[in-house]
Amino acid sequence: MKRDTKHTPQQVLSPLEKSKLKIKVCGMKYQDNIESVAALQPDYLGFIFYKETPRHFDTKIPEIPEGIKKVGVFVNEDVSTVIEKINEFKLDAVQLHGEEAPYYCSILRSTNLLSKPIEIIKVFSIKDEFNFEVLEAFENVCDYFLFDTKGKLPGGNGYRFDWSVLNDYPSTKPFFLSGGIGIDQIDDIKNFIVSKASKYCYAIDVNSKFETEPGLKNKSILREFINKLHNKKTMNYNVDDKGYYGEFGGAFIPEMLHPNVEELRQNYLKVMAEPDFQKEFDKLLKDYVGRPSPLYYAKRLSKKYNTKIYLKREDLNHTGAHKINNTIGQILMAQRLGKTRIIAETGAGQHGVATATVCALMGMECIVYMGEIDIARQAPNVARMKMLGAKVVPALSGSRTLKDATNEAIRDWINNPVDTHYIIGSAIGPHPYPDMVTRFQAVISEEIKWQLKEQEGRENPDYVVACIGGGSNAAGTYYHYLHEPDVGIIAVEAAGLGIDSGESAATSVLGKAGIIHGCKTLLMQTKDGQITEPYSISAGLDYPGVGPMHAHLSKTGRAEFLSITDSDAMEAGLELSKLEGIIPAIETSHAFAIFKHKTFKPDDVVVMSLSGRGDKDLQNYIDYFKI
Amino acid sequence: MNRIVSKLNEDKKLLSIYFTAGYPEINDTVSIIQDLEKNGVDMIEIGLPFSDPLADGPTIQDSSTAALKNGMTTEVLFKQLEGIRDTVSIPLIIMGYFNPMFQYGVEAFCKKCQELGVDGLIIPDLPVDVYHNEYQAIFEKYGLINVFLITPQTSDARIRYIDSISNGFIYMVSSASTTGAKSGFGDEQTAYFERIGKMNLNNPQVIGFGISNNETFTQATKYAKGAIIGSAFVKHVTKHGVKTIDSFTKSILN
Ligand SMILES: Cc1ncc(COP(=O)(O)O)c(C=O)c1O
Repeated sequence: MKRDTKHTPQQVLSPLEKSKLKIKVCGMKYQDNIESVAALQPDYLGFIFYKETPRHFDTKIPEIPEGIKKVGVFVNEDVSTVIEKINEFKLDAVQLHGEEAPYYCSILRSTNLLSKPIEIIKVFSIKDEFNFEVLEAFENVCDYFLFDTKGKLPGGNGYRFDWSVLNDYPSTKPFFLSGGIGIDQIDDIKNFIVSKASKYCYAIDVNSKFETEPGLKNKSILREFINKLHNKKTMNYNVDDKGYYGEFGGAFIPEMLHPNVEELRQNYLKVMAEPDFQKEFDKLLKDYVGRPSPLYYAKRLSKKYNTKIYLKREDLNHTGAHKINNTIGQILMAQRLGKTRIIAETGAGQHGVATATVCALMGMECIVYMGEIDIARQAPNVARMKMLGAKVVPALSGSRTLKDATNEAIRDWINNPVDTHYIIGSAIGPHPYPDMVTRFQAVISEEIKWQLKEQEGRENPDYVVACIGGGSNAAGTYYHYLHEPDVGIIAVEAAGLGIDSGESAATSVLGKAGIIHGCKTLLMQTKDGQITEPYSISAGLDYPGVGPMHAHLSKTGRAEFLSITDSDAMEAGLELSKLEGIIPAIETSHAFAIFKHKTFKPDDVVVMSLSGRGDKDLQNYIDYFKI
Repeated sequence: MNRIVSKLNEDKKLLSIYFTAGYPEINDTVSIIQDLEKNGVDMIEIGLPFSDPLADGPTIQDSSTAALKNGMTTEVLFKQLEGIRDTVSIPLIIMGYFNPMFQYGVEAFCKKCQELGVDGLIIPDLPVDVYHNEYQAIFEKYGLINVFLITPQTSDARIRYIDSISNGFIYMVSSASTTGAKSGFGDEQTAYFERIGKMNLNNPQVIGFGISNNETFTQATKYAKGAIIGSAFVKHVTKHGVKTIDSFTKSILN
């Protein structure tokens, strides 16, 4: 493209295009931070080559996505140095922040020493007023103007000038608006965009107001800013302040439970934020549970399916599954709320064991409700709970599985409203349970991030995969990736004997919005609104609903839901045992069966939540395979 | 005027009976209602059965399961109630869990209730704030009274809030429990009844849970406008069938 035709009057932005106002994030410094900010797809990233600032850039620019222009910022630098830097860092633009003359700009424009043409942005600082006449000499030698706040420093003063000065802007050259812009000014910017002064405003330039320290940008605030600026209704996958995930969640509870649930709602975040709580939680996870759990590269499995598979080894936690992350958190919560008696429901018995374990640890009374059928198919876990001092009460109503055990636990809580805490074992139930359980389980993805960084050089895998009963191991595995669009989320449900067999637990396919155990979520039910009895070979997935977060992930398409039959799951469990020497819980086996149904690319990094070990299921494996 | 309100205005203590629709037999609904009225009952709660009745004890769980097995559904109940106002004039309230109503469509459900002459609803798992924010206008459009529960643990501030949103009576759960769990009242309950009495609420209170005979009925109505009997009545029809409703009501009211 030829220079002098570059910015013809068509460049003037219509109000519609204004919504696509460009964004420049300036003052980038650290490699990791550059990568993570680049993932937000700003239009420009700025690197300051001026030595007298804490944001001075002196390392290498990592690979960043195409379409993001790299801007070098200079203050009265030698032209030859500028040219050198442009070539060395493959800059797309330079921003001249000093007293560079028009002549200086025209050298940069006409030199044949550059490997590719660049954009030239000339900066002018404005205090309360500005003499726009100075612009004229630059009209033909630069591509953009940038208006910044005049202060002690050449840029980065961190406060705003009065944008109405731009009412008198005499030029048609597109300009960058800069100087102390932060998330608090979103409304001002939106007002500005519709004002006359903004007619030629081309981009918004941000820097210090998005930093946790000079040069280190806060990605989540930046994301919010960019989304708000582009009027993008940001999809929020976390719970909102009313306890909902989109249309799902809430607290549909009888009044009898209100005091308990309300007490928890008012306190859970406060308690979790207490340094003393965090210290005790972290210490128990480390010394008692054995965290961090390894992130293991499964070489033979990877080879077989021609992709890169990592296993997050929750099976190596004390008691053999992820469930204990949550029970440790909740028992500490119960203590701080002054509760002395603990109740829980359990399906596979893993949550019951994890609850009985922490109750033994803390010397608290423990009652576990378990469906009569599950008691029969998970005998080893029943024995463990009893050894740990818990009372196991059979749920005799309905399908006599997890759903009914949960009903019984809720009834117990209604009858014991003052001294009892109900440790729900999955990301289900009335708000705040789904969020609280998710936060306790979030340690899983917190660890995956740094572990993957160590092994693969990046925090984000291409996929995270987990099986879903109520969805607690899944919620923990996804949590820190929910808002990372480059990470695919795969949720694996139990299809039982097959989706259409009438014997299934694949809620995302068979369910519709309804209310179960105090929350609105996807639910398997009759046309009349009666909850259907699910079926799966695995007691831990045998639940007619999913947690509200997952209902939202399904509804919005953020997660891909797959359903796996009993037989595929059993085969996958056997395969993992033979290939990697790891016998998984049957719940977990469902997640591993996806490789038979979905093909990944050879360089895809797929992180699997290995939610639990198979000891408790040995008899089922023996019976199934006639071992 | 809504029949519930007129009934509450009568100068007497009210006996309200809960039964599970479709139990013991699918077609018992109408005859139970008629017999209850004939035998001096003031108000009726028709239980729409639900697969997972969280706030109920074993008696009502079992009658609900049996009713569903008998084929009871929302549609069937509405069909049975067609023409009920030709023979019955006391207030009728449907008591059920929220999910079946939600699936039917809350507005369609309310509309149908109005058509049939149902006067109010009790939905234990529809919290007052969700009702207030999302459904109150619909209920009012169809002239339905929604009844909320309070328990000994409900704070005074919340009771006032519930009172402000109620337009019939307040269902005072006698103790922290599921239905049918306890029988009889101790000092703790009477202290709670007195405490609520002293609050001078706008809406009269009707006490439920733990009322099973003449003694507990008399005790409860000393403190409240009326009392609701559920599990004890369900137990009675389980044991003695639906032909002896008069002996049950007599034992309460004698
Ligand atoms: C090993 C294992 N994985 C997964 C689950 C399913 O629960 P959730 O979906 O809450 O992770 C269970 C439940 O018992 C389990 O024991």
